[in-house]
This record gives sequence, C-alpha cells and structure tokens, in this order.
Amino acid sequence: MALRELNSLERFLGLKKPNKYSTQGGKKVPVLQNNNGPALIGLVTIASHLVHEAQRPELLGDSAEQRAVVQQWLEHRVTRLDNSSKEEVKVILKDLNQYLEDKVYLAGNDFTLADILMYYGIHHIVVELAVQEKERYLNITRWFDHIQHYPGVRHHLPPVVVLRNRVYPSGHH
Amino acid sequence: MTKENVQGAGEDEQQAQSKKALKKQQKEAEKAAKKAEKQAKLAAEQQEADEDDFAKDRYGISPMVQSQQKLDRALVRVQDLTPEKAEQQIWVRARIHTSRAKGKQCFLVLRHQQFTVQALLAVGDRASKQMVKFAANLTKESIIDVEAVVKKVEQKIESCSQQDVELHVERIFVISQSEARLPLQLEDAVRPEGEGDEEGRATVNQDTRLDNRVIDLRTTTSQAIFRLQSGVCQLFRDTLINKGFVEIQTPKIISAASEGGANVFTVSYFKTSAYLAQSPQLYKQMCICADFDKVFCVGPVFRAEDSNTHRHLTEFVGLDIEMAFNYHYHEVIDSITDTMVQIFKGLRDRFQTEIQTVNKQYPSEPFKFLEPTLRLEYKEAVAMLKAAGVEMGDEEDLSTPNEKLLGRLVKEKYDTDFYVLDKYPLAVRPFYTMPDPNNTKYSNSYDMFMRGEEILSGAQRVHDAQLLTERAMHHGIDLEKIKAYIDSFRYGAPPHAGGGIGLERVTMLYLGLHNVRQTSMFPRDPKRLTP
Repeated sequence: MALRELNSLERFLGLKKPNKYSTQGGKKVPVLQNNNGPALIGLVTIASHLVHEAQRPELLGDSAEQRAVVQQWLEHRVTRLDNSSKEEVKVILKDLNQYLEDKVYLAGNDFTLADILMYYGIHHIVVELAVQEKERYLNITRWFDHIQHYPGVRHHLPPVVVLRNRVYPSGHH
Repeated sequence: MTKENVQGAGEDEQQAQSKKALKKQQKEAEKAAKKAEKQAKLAAEQQEADEDDFAKDRYGISPMVQSQQKLDRALVRVQDLTPEKAEQQIWVRARIHTSRAKGKQCFLVLRHQQFTVQALLAVGDRASKQMVKFAANLTKESIIDVEAVVKKVEQKIESCSQQDVELHVERIFVISQSEARLPLQLEDAVRPEGEGDEEGRATVNQDTRLDNRVIDLRTTTSQAIFRLQSGVCQLFRDTLINKGFVEIQTPKIISAASEGGANVFTVSYFKTSAYLAQSPQLYKQMCICADFDKVFCVGPVFRAEDSNTHRHLTEFVGLDIEMAFNYHYHEVIDSITDTMVQIFKGLRDRFQTEIQTVNKQYPSEPFKFLEPTLRLEYKEAVAMLKAAGVEMGDEEDLSTPNEKLLGRLVKEKYDTDFYVLDKYPLAVRPFYTMPDPNNTKYSNSYDMFMRGEEILSGAQRVHDAQLLTERAMHHGIDLEKIKAYIDSFRYGAPPHAGGGIGLERVTMLYLGLHNVRQTSMFPRDPKRLTP
C-alpha cells in the first residue's frame, strides 16, 4: 500500500530513477536504503526526502507556519487516519469536513505534500461512501475531487465519481 | 429464693405489660374518637355542601345512554364554534383534552376529533364551588355534554384550534368516564421528534402507540392521516369511475399463488388447503377476458414475507387497476398516471388542513409532480445510477438503496417526486409479463415511484394462451394449478395491462412519513397481530 503510494509520488515528482523499497515490522513500515547514508524509515520521512530530491521544497510549505501545518497533516495521516477504527473514521471525516470548509488545500491556498498523502490515505474510505454520505461531507468531496484531478497525482488509484449538484435536501435524510 | 425472684420478675413484667396495654388502648380509643369526629365533620360538611349546593342539578354523571329518551337537543360540533356563534347558548359533546383548576375557576380544553376549544367554569351565580370542583376532578379523555355560552375572546387562544372563542360553561354532564390512568398521553404522542428533549419531555415510541392504537388514533396527527387516506380512496374511485371503470370484488381465498409461491399465507380449507390472495391479479384479468374492459378493485391483499422493514406489511389495502387497450400499453400507463395525478391534485386542493396537521409533527417538503408524468426507461435509470458511481449490471433488479438514490437523482434533475420507470428486465418480473418485442431481455412492465419508493408495479400481461403457457413453464409453475387462468385466454382475449398500488404506501409517501405502520390503522406485520 505505502509502497505503491511512494511509487506514485516519485512519478508525480518526476524522479527519473525509481527507488527500491523494503518494509519492516508487522505494520509494513516502508524503508528506503539510501546510498549516501543511513536507511530512511517511515512514509512521511521518505516522502519528504523525495520532495527534496526532486527540488520541490515548496511542497513542504513556503513559510514557517505553512511548514508546520503541512507537518501536522502528515502526522495526522500516519498516526490517526491509518490507525482508525470504523467509529473513529466518522469523527475524522466530520472534523476534516469542517476544517476544509474555507480552504482549497489542506495548507490553505497552496498545494502541498499534505494534500497528496492525505488523498492517498483517505481514498479507500471515500471510495466506499454512498452518494448521500459524499454529500454530507461536501467539503471533503470537493477537496478530494480537486486533488484526484490535480495533474499527475491519481496514478494507481481508481477515480471516484463525484456529483456536482446536491441531490439530498439539507436537513432531511 | 430463686423462685420468688422469678415470680417477682414475672409480676413486674405483667405490670409493665398491662401498663403498655393500657397505653395502647388509650391511644386506640383516642384514634377512634378522632376518626369518628373527622367522619362526623366530613358528613356534616358533605350535608352542608349538598344543602348549600344550589347548582347540583347543573352537573353530574349522566345515567348510561341506553336510548331511554329522544332529547330534542342539537349538539354543535367543536369545529363549528366560531365568532358567528358568539353569545349563543349551545350544547356541545366533546372529550376532556386537559383540565386545569385555579382557585375558583376551572379551565377545560374540550376536543372533538382534531378540533379543540377552551371552556371555562367559574364560581358565580351559575356554578357553585362544588360544581367547579367536580369539573376539575373529571378524568382526561372522558366524554361530556356541556351547555355553554359562546364568548368571543380578546386574545387568541394559541393552544386550541378554535382560537377566537371560548365557552362559558353552565351545565356539565359526564356521558362516559375515562379511567384515570391513560396508557399514553396524547400530548406526548403528537410531539415532534427531538422537540422537548431539552425539557426532558417524552415522545411515545411506535410500539406503545400501536399497542394502544385506539388512543393513539385520537391524536390530531392520526386523525389527519386517516382522513387523508380516506381521501385517497375516494379520489381513486371517483377518477376511475369518471374514466368509465367498473368496480369489482374478487375472492381473497384462492387456490394458487399469483406471484410465485414463496410469500403466500396458507389457510386450511376443509379437507384441502388454500391461499390468501397476494393480489387480485388473476381475477381482474379474467374480468377483462369477460369484456369488462376497465376494472378496478379496492381490497385487502396478503404477503407472507417475513420482512420487518419500514415499508412492509403482511396485510394491506390494494388499489388495483386492469384495463384493455387498443395498440400500445402506454395507453394504460397514461391512464394510471393521470389517475395518480388526479389523486395528488385532489389531496393538495382538498386536504391542506390535514397535510399541515401532519407536517407539524412530521415535517416534509410538499409533494411535487409533473404533468404529464415523467416516464423513464430502465436503461436510462441504470445509466443515471452508473453516472452517480453505482456499480450494477444492466439487467440487475434495483435494490432499495438504489431505488431511493434514483429517486433523489430524478428529483434533482426533473424536480418531481412521482415518475414511472418503464421497460424492466424480463427476468425480474412475474411469468404473465409481456416480453418487449424489440428486445427479449426486457419487458413491457413498469413501476411507479413516490419519493423514491415503489408504490405500483404493473405490466402488459400476456393475453395469448400459448405464450402464457410457455412463460409459466419457463418459471417452473405447475400448469395444473393455473389451468382456469390460462383457459380464460383461449376464447378471445383483448390486449390489456394494469397495476396495483398499496394504499398505505401512497399515504405514507405523499405525506413524507417514515413508516408504513403510521398509515395503517391496525397494522399487521410478522410480529404484530393485535390489536
């Protein structure tokens, strides 16, 4: 899972030579054996390294604040989203939906690595949502649809159908 | 020494005992005296009261009405209590909805059906203290006759349906007394869900309502629902009669299942067994073969499906239509949809009060429909669902969630809560369904939907005995059991189509309710056989 994600990220970043990854432990944490130093362990660590490698530091945030926000969402992705039970998923979706109400991207007005990794991580949840739920989490759906159409991001994942108009009247279920 | 001692102790004890007994006796005597005094006082008071009560002929419990006398007394209905009746002295029969005593006054809310009016009893030259006390002690839901003067009020009475007048009671008699404890409170039963949660007020759950249906049916919501349902039946009849239909009555005890044997009730029938009709299907078709041309039938139908859902009942009222057509079954679809539209219009125009009443407890959007009715083909519907991300096969039947979603998609696109879905896959329909001449995978069959839920299932029927036999065999049906049915098509049978509607579902979906039990007066489901 994480490995395909890293492959897609490499292609998005335009890295010519694909890296070889291994996994470690029961949770299959990705490991990158680096030629010039010690091994890199963990999705976020490797992803940040790849971003540097591709000389796209803006994907980690332009300002100090933005960098902090990006780091926060990357952490959210691997600590909360990836370990969530069915019950927790509802809370995560509700919170994320509220957060995205006044934002185009997770870090505000700029596309960052946080958007890519959150999109990869949440895809299996969104793909299962019924039309009505997608409408309930309207802001997530809008953000998700935007990211899946962002050039070069989607790669290994199937597109999710998103209706452009509301079909459920608000307040009634 | 020892003996003496013991004796001494014994004496002491005896003395002590007698002392105790004496005290006890004294106390009891005192008690008795007090009691007697109290009783005497009460009796005296009572007597005094009785003697004092100048109004004792103006109230009381009437002897049971056994039709002893023909009273020449007009009873005014609560709904007719309007300012035009001000200052008139009238008689009213109603239930006590609530009563509230306040010093020398007693306020009653009197209810008849869904209408309520405030009544006032005050100590004065018409009513005595005892009379007011009597009125205040009447149990809720008792039926009373009151004589009163209608008075205009300055401030509208918000809690009653008759807001501009109140009744000044002069006489009050109980016709039928209710037991003091009610199994449920009417106010609780009409409270919208969620409202009153903060005040910790109760709503009544559905099983309690249904267990005490007689009381639940008295609520304004229930009164409105079933008055509107009666309207559906009447509009259905009136419209079809105007179109030249004939009303027929068909047997409900039948020898063979009409739509597959899985969900029929078997009843023992002397030395053999019979079934309860799942629909008047075969009989209405036989009437067509017997030259009745256009028939309809209103009556009970039975489904032995063990499904406990919000929209299934084991017995419901079917409104069935069957008619011969000239060249194309769309003639029949048009006739049925027009009938439905006439019903919707009639409800909208004549039952606005009832709709508003139900909306107070169960808010919903007004029911929308188009003229002429929207007709979609099954293929188009599948395409719409696929475009919304649903994965399904072209000839797969619609699941309930998909039906509902389709309803939403159609509403969004065409702004209608009512539409027809035409050309169902042949494989998912009963054996007597006419195949589509252009594509054998499809059929000349249709469903009609209200708010995304199916209310009618219909089709052009096979009117050719040969083809009918083939189709029955294809479905693995025992030809012996449906011989009479197949034979009726051998002697000249006109092309025909029809459909059957569930009355409870139509009412439920028109009003935007969520459970079919709300629109069935005495619902029957796998778990409920009473009341």
